[in-house]
Amino acid sequence: MNRILSDAYSFGIQYLRTKVGAFFSFIFPLILILLFGAVFSGGGEGGISLPVQNMDQGQFSDILLDVLNGTGYFDISMIDRGEEITQYINDNSLTLALYVPSNFSANIGASTQAPVTLYGDMSKASFQVAQGVLNAAITQLNYNLSGGIGLVSLDVQNAGSEKLSAYDFYLPGFVGLTVMISSMYFMTSMCAEYRGRGYFKLLATTLMRKSDWLVSKFIFNSVLLIASLLVTFGFAALLFDLEAVLTPMSFVLVVGGAFLFTSLGMLLGSIVKDPESGSAVSNAIGFPMMFLSGSFWDLNFMPQYMQIIAKVMPLTYLNDGLRDTMIYGNETSALMNLAVVAVLGLVFFALASRLMSWKEK
Amino acid sequence: MSDAIVEVNDLVKRYPPDIKAVDGISFSIQKGRVFSLLGPNGAGKTTTVEILEGLRCPTSGRVRVFGMDVIKDYSPIRKRVGVLPQNFEPFDLLSPYEAVRYWGDEFGLSLGKKEINEMLEMVGLSERRTSMSKKLSGGEKRKLGIALSMVNNPELLFLDEPTTGLDPKARRDLWGLIEKTRKRGTTVVLTTHYLDEAEKLADHVAIMHRGKIIATGPPEELVKRYGKKTAIVLVGVGKEGLRELSRRGIDGTERNGDVMVTVNDPSELRVMFAKLSSIEINLKEMYTRRETLEDVFLSLIGARMEEGVLQA
Repeated sequence: MNRILSDAYSFGIQYLRTKVGAFFSFIFPLILILLFGAVFSGGGEGGISLPVQNMDQGQFSDILLDVLNGTGYFDISMIDRGEEITQYINDNSLTLALYVPSNFSANIGASTQAPVTLYGDMSKASFQVAQGVLNAAITQLNYNLSGGIGLVSLDVQNAGSEKLSAYDFYLPGFVGLTVMISSMYFMTSMCAEYRGRGYFKLLATTLMRKSDWLVSKFIFNSVLLIASLLVTFGFAALLFDLEAVLTPMSFVLVVGGAFLFTSLGMLLGSIVKDPESGSAVSNAIGFPMMFLSGSFWDLNFMPQYMQIIAKVMPLTYLNDGLRDTMIYGNETSALMNLAVVAVLGLVFFALASRLMSWKEK
Repeated sequence: MSDAIVEVNDLVKRYPPDIKAVDGISFSIQKGRVFSLLGPNGAGKTTTVEILEGLRCPTSGRVRVFGMDVIKDYSPIRKRVGVLPQNFEPFDLLSPYEAVRYWGDEFGLSLGKKEINEMLEMVGLSERRTSMSKKLSGGEKRKLGIALSMVNNPELLFLDEPTTGLDPKARRDLWGLIEKTRKRGTTVVLTTHYLDEAEKLADHVAIMHRGKIIATGPPEELVKRYGKKTAIVLVGVGKEGLRELSRRGIDGTERNGDVMVTVNDPSELRVMFAKLSSIEINLKEMYTRRETLEDVFLSLIGARMEEGVLQA
């Protein structure tokens, strides 16, 4: 019995001293609780971003905006009256926009129907939430204006891309996620294994340089992920009625993403000592990025402060870029996201090449 | 000294907090020789050899290989050097053939089918050239390691404990391979804790203990220098016999159940035999022998042997 207790005690100490044990036992559950709690609580300041184009000059549209502001769910911004709204939505890759027609106040004054239109991507959760909140706000407004008679009504219209399905939304997000997992996790664990089995030392005796090794892994990942993109898209197109399209820019983004995450994986790999700590480090970086970069849900659905966190996640730019090009056809915005991916990739590449050591200190 | 292709002067390697793994050693290695660093585990052999290979930075001291600084001029040096690291592990999912081709590419050599097959033939892996490396035996893996370390036809080959953990046959095979390499004119730096290996293969031995070189020279010269005594071996008398001898004022050492009594000069043998014959001990056999490298080593560092391996 003493032997058993002693063994359990010794094993427990070793388990905790690896830090992996401590991470998975204590830190990881906390991260998940914090993450999911924050996302689904709807807490925090601010809410869903709602650009509004108000063509009406009368008082009732101002009252409508006051009511919407009063819900606390929307961050309202104004779209210039000179813009063509559907074009504006496409150019800015918006998922939501509210249009108030020029005769809105006049119609209410005449006690006739005064519809407003909610444009957006109806496949997204944020659209459904916005629609629900708007309906509630309009019901309240109708009660205030006319004792409940439905003068103001809400029309909805798809915008951004025609007839988008959930699959269209998820496809670019999952492609981005695959790029991250395949490149970053692969590299981090590979670095750990190479260090553990002495392969780095072995490689250091050849003429290969660290940057050569990283570039070779980037090339491998790019080829692998382009193949993965083709297979994923091919299956999705066969099985579902997809509106999303494969564009040359989507391939460029996948290659850019492979460069970014291969470099990040090597950077993480430069600090890990063994395969266990390799997976702990990958998970610590990868899990938050998985959930906070728009792979599983629309970022607009998250509280404002979580959206700010999403902006520092490299995967956000890859996902946004892929959606821009594959769903909205907005190549300008995709190019901007590609630029962020490329710059981050170069920074990580430079850091990884500098920090990674194949030799012993 | 003009033929020295490795020169080490006052080399020191410290690890935090204040462990001196290598403590101010100096030596040189002559071209075409097999130089063996011999010592028990933890003596500082691997640290020394990894510094010579350029894989570890020294704390202080000067290390020159082919007349160049091993840290500053690493790139030109490594083209001319082959390394079999301690505990070499091949890439599991490459066959020996693929591994040799891959390694050749890493040295900028595009080895053809013929050259690869010759390399595998030399190390005795022709039959296994298409097997996955993870399916190779321990000895075969080490042979593959030697093949990889020689893929660039090195002038200087480092073999760090190449036979550790191998069965006797695999060890003998690898010894043959090292002999072959020496005959090709390659200088070999061999670290080992097997005394028979050093005695069999090395032209020159440096005995390391606690980071220092405590003796250096050709094996036979070391025996002459440090092993002047003659030993009488009392087979199977064990610790009890040792105690009995001690009671009679005779010093001896017990090793693996045998007790050795030494005399400084063969002329003292008759007297000692007479003394030993008068003592009632359970003796199976008695013989005399001159000291070997093993005796020299053990007397120098006070180590002991377990199954042919030095223990600190």
